[in-house]
Amino acid sequence: MKIVRKVQVKNAMGLHTRPATTIVKLLQNCPCDVTFTHKQDTVNAKSILSLLMLAATKNSKITIVVEGDEADVTMNKLVQAFENQFGE
Amino acid sequence: MYLVKDLYERHGARLGLELTAGKAGMNRKIQVPEAQRPGLSLSGYMKNHASKRVLIFGKVEIEYLSDLEPHVRIARLETIITDHTPAIIIARRYRPPKELRALCERQSIPLFRTNLATMDLLSKMILLLTEEFSPSISCHGTLVEVFGVGVLIQGDSAVGKSEAALGLVERGHRLISDDIVKVKKKEGSYLEGSGAALTRHHMEIRGIGIINVANLYGAVCVRNQKSLDIVVRLEVWQDDQFYDRIGLEEKFTTILDINLPYHILPVKPGRDVVLLLETIALNHRLKNMGYNSAQEFSSKVLELTSAKSRHRTIKFKVDKKTVSEGITV
Repeated sequence: MKIVRKVQVKNAMGLHTRPATTIVKLLQNCPCDVTFTHKQDTVNAKSILSLLMLAATKNSKITIVVEGDEADVTMNKLVQAFENQFGE
Repeated sequence: MYLVKDLYERHGARLGLELTAGKAGMNRKIQVPEAQRPGLSLSGYMKNHASKRVLIFGKVEIEYLSDLEPHVRIARLETIITDHTPAIIIARRYRPPKELRALCERQSIPLFRTNLATMDLLSKMILLLTEEFSPSISCHGTLVEVFGVGVLIQGDSAVGKSEAALGLVERGHRLISDDIVKVKKKEGSYLEGSGAALTRHHMEIRGIGIINVANLYGAVCVRNQKSLDIVVRLEVWQDDQFYDRIGLEEKFTTILDINLPYHILPVKPGRDVVLLLETIALNHRLKNMGYNSAQEFSSKVLELTSAKSRHRTIKFKVDKKTVSEGITV
């Protein structure tokens, strides 16, 4: 199953190290392939350095693509994390 | 999307560009990686005129324009400078005719001046634009230069790509980028990999965190870009899988339509991945020098086996003769 959704970074400091760590932790045991696309860069969301490379600031729009088993569960978790501003 | 602003910001200093008019048009798109001198079009011949190219005015164009009557000059300039024209550059620091300045200002087309000679500017512009427009992708993997060979290490997460790269760096090889590599097709014939500016020379090692390789091991252990020569995929060892034992058949993988030698390297405790990666790189160098270890060995074996069978045939013939002679006697 493949799900595509667009989310917005709501954190004041953008997608910095702490949110990136939260995402990677969230996806650690996930069986799906997850990619984030910001502007023209598409990266593997399971890698911290790749997420940081996006240098996504507040209000940046990120397209999330989740592909594989239980894609809907993973996507919901990710969207929720973005909504909660990664607990910040 | 490549804008005139990008060209000015990234290469303005190198080209010695100085903006003289049309500042409002800095956000114009450059749609084709081409630049041209509008000599023939200025004379009025407009058939097949490429309107999307960056225009370069040299000595001939400027002198030709100054020889024209003012109203003809305006008319000719208006024909070649349209809404599709991304920008105009005047070489040799010539003063632009006032009609050209006015037109650029009115149409919001950036007009630059430079000290460079016309042909020098033209060749630099074509090279620059071709490079900016060359296709590129981001690859998940780690790029390391091993004995001068650009090795892209790929594999699933947590298979040990970064650890292998760190081992290679520790042995004096160079890291280009970890985790994500920007691959660009150069001159349509080879690939070049580099890291993103922010994460360049940084590595993420599980259990340690993010480290700066340039600071830890010194500037000699890093490079900003390197050609991509081989791709090695690290895989967790599976007993039911048959791995290459001889190396006669070469596998290839395609990145941006370019074929690259591809190796699958199974990883398990006890296998020194760093040493194996070094061996793959050295073997690749040897192959490029015209020596293929596997082929050489195979041909030796073949020579030996075919020699044996020939020897056996001769012996068999001799035996037959003896037998037949025996019968005659």
